[in-house]
Order: sequence, then C-alpha cells, then structure tokens
Amino acid sequence: MSLRHAARIARRELRGGLRGFGIFLACLALGVAAISGIGSVRAAIEAGLVQEGAALLGGDAEIELTYRFASETELDWMQANATEVSEIADFRSMAVVGDDRALTQVKSVDDAYPLVGTVTLSPDMPLDQALAGEDTLPGAVMDRVLADRLGLTPGNEFALGGTPFRLSAILVNEPDNATGGFGLGPRTMVATSALAESNLLSPGTLFETQYRLRLPPGSDLAAYEAKAKAELPKSGLRWRDARNGAPGVATFVERLSAFLVLVGLSGLAVGGVGVSAAVRAYLSAKAATIATLRTLGATNGTVFLAYALQIAALSALGIAIGLALGGLVPLALAPILQTQLPVPAIFSLYPAPLFEAALYGALTAALFTLWPLARTESIRAATLFRDAMGAAARLPRARYILATLALLTVLIGTAGAFSGSFRLTGFTALGLLGALLLLGLSAALARFIARRLRPLAQGRPALRWALAAISGPRSEALPVVLSLGLGLTVLATVGQLDGNLRGAIARDLPTIAPSYFFVDIQKDQMPGFTEQLEGDSAVSKIENAPMLRGVISHINNRPAREVAGEHWVVQGDRGITYATDIPDNTRVVAGNWWGSGDIGPPQVSFAAEEAEEMGLSLGDTLTVNVMGRDIEATITSFREVDFSTAGMGFVMIMDPASVSAAPHTYIATVYAEPDHEARILRELSQRFPNITAIRVKDAIARVTEMLSSLASATAWGASATLLTGFLVLIGAAAAGSPARAHEAAVLKTLGATRRRILSSFLIRSGLLGLAAGTVALIAGITGGWAVCHFVFDTDFAVIWPSGLAIILGGVAATLLASAGFALRALATRPARTLRSRE
Amino acid sequence: MIPPAISLVDVSLSLQGNAGPVDILHAITLDVNRGETLALVGPSGSGKSSLLMLMGGLELASGGTITALDHDLSAMSEDELARFRRAHMGVVFQSFHLIPTMTALENVATPLELAGTRDALALARQALADVGLAERADHYPSQLSGGEQQRVALARATAPRPDILLADEPTGNLDSTTGETIIEQLFALRAAHGATLVLVTHDPALATRCDRVLNLLDGRLETGA
Repeated sequence: MSLRHAARIARRELRGGLRGFGIFLACLALGVAAISGIGSVRAAIEAGLVQEGAALLGGDAEIELTYRFASETELDWMQANATEVSEIADFRSMAVVGDDRALTQVKSVDDAYPLVGTVTLSPDMPLDQALAGEDTLPGAVMDRVLADRLGLTPGNEFALGGTPFRLSAILVNEPDNATGGFGLGPRTMVATSALAESNLLSPGTLFETQYRLRLPPGSDLAAYEAKAKAELPKSGLRWRDARNGAPGVATFVERLSAFLVLVGLSGLAVGGVGVSAAVRAYLSAKAATIATLRTLGATNGTVFLAYALQIAALSALGIAIGLALGGLVPLALAPILQTQLPVPAIFSLYPAPLFEAALYGALTAALFTLWPLARTESIRAATLFRDAMGAAARLPRARYILATLALLTVLIGTAGAFSGSFRLTGFTALGLLGALLLLGLSAALARFIARRLRPLAQGRPALRWALAAISGPRSEALPVVLSLGLGLTVLATVGQLDGNLRGAIARDLPTIAPSYFFVDIQKDQMPGFTEQLEGDSAVSKIENAPMLRGVISHINNRPAREVAGEHWVVQGDRGITYATDIPDNTRVVAGNWWGSGDIGPPQVSFAAEEAEEMGLSLGDTLTVNVMGRDIEATITSFREVDFSTAGMGFVMIMDPASVSAAPHTYIATVYAEPDHEARILRELSQRFPNITAIRVKDAIARVTEMLSSLASATAWGASATLLTGFLVLIGAAAAGSPARAHEAAVLKTLGATRRRILSSFLIRSGLLGLAAGTVALIAGITGGWAVCHFVFDTDFAVIWPSGLAIILGGVAATLLASAGFALRALATRPARTLRSRE
Repeated sequence: MIPPAISLVDVSLSLQGNAGPVDILHAITLDVNRGETLALVGPSGSGKSSLLMLMGGLELASGGTITALDHDLSAMSEDELARFRRAHMGVVFQSFHLIPTMTALENVATPLELAGTRDALALARQALADVGLAERADHYPSQLSGGEQQRVALARATAPRPDILLADEPTGNLDSTTGETIIEQLFALRAAHGATLVLVTHDPALATRCDRVLNLLDGRLETGA
C-alpha cells in the first residue's frame, strides 16, 4: 500500500467538490457545535465561579453552623485567624402585613456584612442605613417579588415573627446569593440585632449561621480548612472557601452540562447515521471508479486508504465548522448570556471543551464511516459489468469489525470519563445501541409485513407500489427508519423525562399531601397549638414531632463520607426526632425498638432503604453532631419510611433519653380543607407569630419550577438532536430521490396520474414514519423509565401527549421530506428522467 | 377516410442545455397510419428518441401540434397524457425501465391495474407466459438477465393491448441473438393486437422489416412522410 498514491487519488477525487456531502458536513458540524457550545458555556461559568469565588461566598472562607451561633471558643478561633469576621443567620419565617402573610428566607446580618462585594438597593442607599431604619422601627430590605406579593413599597411596615420592621428599600443585588442553595421563599434582609426580641433565633429554632472570614492575603485556604477542622473538632462546622465559592452551583452546572453533553452525543450518534449513509451513497456512486482503479492495479489497501483520506479530510472540515460554531456563538452571545445567567461567567475560547467536542466528532465520524469504507474491498473490477454495490451487502472483514468495536469502546469510555458518570454514559450508550437494534428489527418487520400484505393490495395500485417499495430490493425501510427513528428516540426519551420531571411531584402528592408544615413551634406552644387545631372542624389531621437537626459526621468511627460516599443523608444536616413508641406512620422491619424508660447508651432507628443504600447494618454506630455536641448512637432497628407522602418522615429517630434534653422545637403537619387553609394560617400566626408555615402546594410549585428549568435545558439540548434527525432524514430522502424520480417517470409512462404516484410516495413514507415513530416511542418510554428509575429514583408514568406527538411528528417529518422531493420528481417530464438513465 | 394513428405538424423541440437552449427537432411533419409499422433511423443525436418521446407525450414539444388517435397531445395536461397512454399506448425502452422494487409480474400488472382491468395479475401472468417468462414471474428485475428484463418490458407494454406501440431501440442493450428473439416477439405481439408500431433503431435490417422507414438527420426528416 502506498500512502503517496492513495493521497494523490484522494486529492484528485476531492477536486470534484463537496457535492453530496452537505448532509455529512451538517450532521457532523451540528453535533460538534452542540457539544462544544455546551462545553464552552460550562467553562465560562466555571471560570466565572473561580474568579468570583470570594464575592460569591461573601468572604475568603466561611464556617457554617446549624441551629446555633458560634461558641466563645469558636469565635475566638475565628478572630485569631481571620483579619475580619462577619456573622450571618439564615432562616425561614413569615413576613406579615395585616392579614396577609408570605414565606420568606431571612438573612440577618451584622455591621460587617458584606465583607466582599456590594449590596445594591433601590432606592440607592447604603445597607447600614437601610437596616438601621428610622423612628423606632428597625429597617429591612426585601426581594421585589416578595414586596409586590405583600403590596409593600419602601416606607411601609411589616412584621417578622411578631417583630415590626419598616421596609427601607428593594433588594436588587445580593452578592452572595448563589451560595444559599435552595430556598423556598424570596429574600428579606434585616440586622441580627433587630431580632433580639423575637423568638426567631432562639435555641432550637431552625436556622443556620455563617461566619464569613477575610483571611490574610495569599493565605493557603486548604491549610486553614485543615486547621479549623483540627482545632474545632467537635463543632460540626462546615467549611467553604473561595476555591469553590458556590459549590452547589458548580456541582449543578457540572452535572447539568454532563447530562447535556450526553444528549449532544446522542445527537452526534443520530448524525452518525446520516454520515454513514452519506459515505455509503458516495462510495456507491464511486463503485465504477473504484472498479476501474482495480482494473488499473490498485490494491485493496490503496483504495481503502484513498477513500479513508477523503472521508478524514471531510470529517476534519465538518468538525472545524462545528468547533467554530460551538466556540464562537457563545462568545458572540456573551452579552445576552451574561444577563440571563444567575452566576458570573467569563466567555472566551476555551481549548478544553473544544478538544472534547473535536474528539467526540472524530471518534463518531470514524465509528460511522469505517463500516461503509470497509465495503470498498468488496468492489471488484467485475463490478463494472454488474450491479454496482448489489453484491456488497455482506459483513466486512473481521479486522474492521474489531476496529469498529474498539472505536465504540473508546467513544463510550471517553464520554464516561468526561461526563464523570460511567453509569449514565453506559445507560445512554445502551439506550442508543438498543434503539438502533430495535429500529433495524422494526425495519425488517416492516418489510416482512409489507411483503405479506402485497397480495391483499391488488386493485389498489398506489398502496401496492408503496408496499413493493418497502418490501422489495433497494428498500427505503432501513435508511428511513434508522435516520428518523434514532432522532425521534432521543426526542421521545427527553419528552418522557421532561414530562415526568415536571409532573413527578405534582402527580404523586396532591391527594395525600398536608396543607402546611409548621416549623419552629416552641415546646411550650405545642399544647395551645394542637388544642386550637383540634377544635377546628376544617382540620382533618395533625401530626407533630420534636425536631432537632444534626450532621452524621462518622459511621463506625470512620468519616461518614468515606463510608456512605455522596449519599444525600450524609450531605448536610438532617432532621432528627425522638420518640418513646413507634410512630404510626412507620414500622420496624429489622431489629428491635427500645423499651420505654430505657436509659442506656444512645440508640437510633434508621430508615431501612437509606441504610441499605449506605451499607449500614444493625449494631453500627453513628456519630451525630447536634448543636455542636457529638452523640454516638447504635443502630438498633431499621424502619420503613415513605418519604413520598410529604408527611412526616425521619431518617433517624433516637431514643428520648439521648437527645430530649437538647434545645429543640416541634414540627407539625396539618391536613385541612383547602378553602379553610388561609383562615387557619391567619389564626395560628396571630396567636403564635414566631412559627413559620410552609404551604406544601407552594413548596411543590417551587420545586416543580426548578425541575421544569432542568427539563427545559434538556429540551433545548435535544432540539439540536431534532434538527440533526431531520437533516439525516432529508439526506435519506435525497438519497432515494433519483430512484423515486425514475419510478415516477416509468409510472407516468404506464399511465399513472401524478396524484396516484404522490399518494403512493406518501403512503410508503407515512408507513415508515409510523414504524419509526412507534419504535421511538417504545424506546423512549423504556429510556425514560430507566433514567427515572435508576438515575432520579422517581416513579415513572408514560406521558402520552408527548408520545403521540412523537409518532405524529415522525409521520409528518417523513411526509414532509418525501413530499418535498416527490414534487420535484413529479414535475419533471418522464422523458427527461428516462433519458438521463439511458 | 380513416385518420392517422399519430399526426405531427410542424413539430419542434428545444431543450435547455448547460450552455443554453439546444434545438433537437425542427419542423417535423408526418403521419403514422393505423396498423402501420414505422422505423425511425438515423445517426446518434439525430433526435430519433426525442421524436418518439414526443409521440408518447413523454416530452413536451416546443412548437407544432401532435395528434394521436384524434387527441391533441399538445393541449393535454400531464395527467391527461398519463390517462391517454394508459388507454392507448405501450412503450418499450432501450434500458427496459422496469421498476426495481416490483417483481416481473407486478411490473406487467401495473398498467393493467391502472386501467382498472379485472384479473390484472392473471392477465399479466399470461403476458409473461407469452414472452416465455412464466417461470420468472416472481423475480425482481435485478435477478433477471438483460434479455429477460426486456421481455418483461415487452410484456408490460403489450399486456393492455395498446393501439400504439412505441419502441426505443429495444435491442440496443442486448446481444444479437437475444435481440432477434425480442424483435420476433415484438412483431408477433403487435400483429396479434393489430397495433401501430413506431420503432427507433440503428439496425438497417430491423428497419426494413417495417412498412416504412424514415431517416432523421440533425433533427430533420430526410424522407417526406
């Protein structure tokens, strides 16, 4: 084999231009553009988060405590190590104006806040002045959404936990708002000193404190973190610093972009079908040339290399176009994107995501073109005298099959490594391969059924021609079903996921969910609280339990994360209750419940499903930090807990002797008639102004809104796949166009009208679209179920409107593509078409 | 007086080529009588096939009038022309032009079905038997030799018993022995149905089997009709 000869042949062949390669280039460029675009935006956000880390965090570092303020020792440590310290408390409360009330996430701050960044208010004024208030009332600032909801304008009064405030200004920008995580209510900001008289920050109420530290310039943040954890070992503190100022956002962006890249890769796979078809068609058209080269003495290797070089050159062009689009479009849209994104982003040309996308593009192109390229070996000199590619349908040689498998492995491995989730990548790859297999089988089934139905179509020429075209030689079934079906499968999967994510909570809860959660009920308020509700005929059920919050720091004396990994139970603090008897809404499935009056070492009853996920066994010990005190408890029983009811469910219930002495409050759920919910809340708030009510429907709406945003991002990612799928379909229709033009010309010669011919074309396209759509729906439902079940751990329900839209979309897309090409064929005089074939 | 099967008056044809319009036929006037066999001969590019296409309504004339069986083809729409061919014409091409997705039987049955003929498949099977291909009825074109494909095309053109048979170099792609068989069958079938035959050919011997021979040169008729 001579590379020089092959390269010369390749160069001469490419002189013919890019005719016939439009779809090839578009498919590759679109897939690479989508992936590099997603990667570029991710890189921009990550760069923004790194640069703005301190501003996002509100300091160089932060120590967060749950449920309490820092002790003297802890404060001393902070003062000794930091050049400046700012104390913030974060909690939920009710903002009240007359009878109107709304949930708000309160941030109470000291004079030092913010250490980094600037708070922007409207009207413009310093934060100190706004929070100082005027007359005798302390000041507050709040998010415009909340002010509008309560009908407040600057100067108006409202109350938090029974303490009156005057709204000084609207909060326009809170520099550290990306660090707070998920909040159920819009922000209100007050001075901590103004809350002294309220019960809002009393021991046992649910609040978190954050101590922002300004450290000496050039400090080693990792060393400070280690020092804090070593010197304040029992504090249960959580450390964050400017290295990752908004870890929640960074993780979210990373996971979302990994997911979107997988959606983009699916699009690339869809495009791969088009790429493969284009190469197949190109080589088919070159069969005579290849056969001639053979007669002139070209070896298999030379011919393969000559055409592989051409495809490689074209792939490089497609990838380059994709990279240019994916890299430059976000850059061009930077001014718009920066205003839309809730986090800072620095847009630039980042080589890493471009390299990742280029690698995916090259691997996909190689994977999808190797097989058709291998078929050049089956084109022999004798092909000049026979039907060109007719004899070339057999499998390629073993080395090509092995190389294809190797490429597939490398592609999946690369995607797994880049996305950070081999599981999700594995699912995606399996889903795509399964869909391809299913589509191939369905094309074969469509051909089989069409063959069987042919005799029944006697006397219906249009239908019989359609069935003949589907079942006969050179059938369009496989290319059309594959090209359309894979794109529709990705869309159907995304559609099912989208619907399930948007509807999951709303679908599962309404019939059983309580009306309100009440938190921060003081122990001495409980009798009056329950008495008032039990006397209300509109209330059907009340549940209440004491609640503390704690962090599982160790399991069997090993750091909890070492044992349980990233399990949600060991991430952050969890609610803990205590009980003498087994609560009604749970049951013990293993071990024994403690006896009443048991005052032995601390015991804990753990949720069975979560225990299994974390690898816990009966007898294991958990070290739980509650209010800065470590409690080492032994797991003595596992319980079945149903978290899906939105009722009360605790992962951990401890024996009363262990924790009941610690300061704590109560939590209650109230089930009431919807029409009376507002009145019940009003009456309770008037009597117990410090308690916070969370309306479950509002919480559901908020979570649903978040999930909808996630689903929307995915749907946008999938739109690139839709476009690719349609391009591939157009490619398939274009490839079949000459055959249809010939058929139309012959049928016209035999006396068929254009309407009848068009009907036949549309029937065959519609039937194939139906087959592709049906398979896509089946594969989409399976894929959606698998992702919901294995990844999101949620129930799955088939979203029929989306599913039916996919089938109809499939039929419509094939009809559209078919009609587009058929009309041109029908408008041509038969003689022109037939003469070109002579 | 019986009107001619096909009548052309001052017919011309220009086609749009890459370098501008190309004149293919100039002022052709001729009549083909009913039941007559007419051979069109001439060198390559002289316009023989184009003239045949115009007679079949497969090409639109740039000027003049074409009448077939008292129907003005020039005034007919594409679909009216298709219906006319369905009822009155059969065409045989040099390159056979069978539909590759249909079996031999289905190819032959198609014009019969279009015409709404009862037992289209049975008649098609008989037509295939007439050309000696009863055993090949369920084969696809790609499974047939060139000669067999042309016999299927012949059966397809003659099965509806057309009034006019147009044959464009029907032996052009075949060896001489196979070609001879095809011509024998073509003439036999024409005679059986009494159809008018217009035949384009390069073969002088074949041309002499026809009642009349017309020579085309550079798009003009050399011998008057």
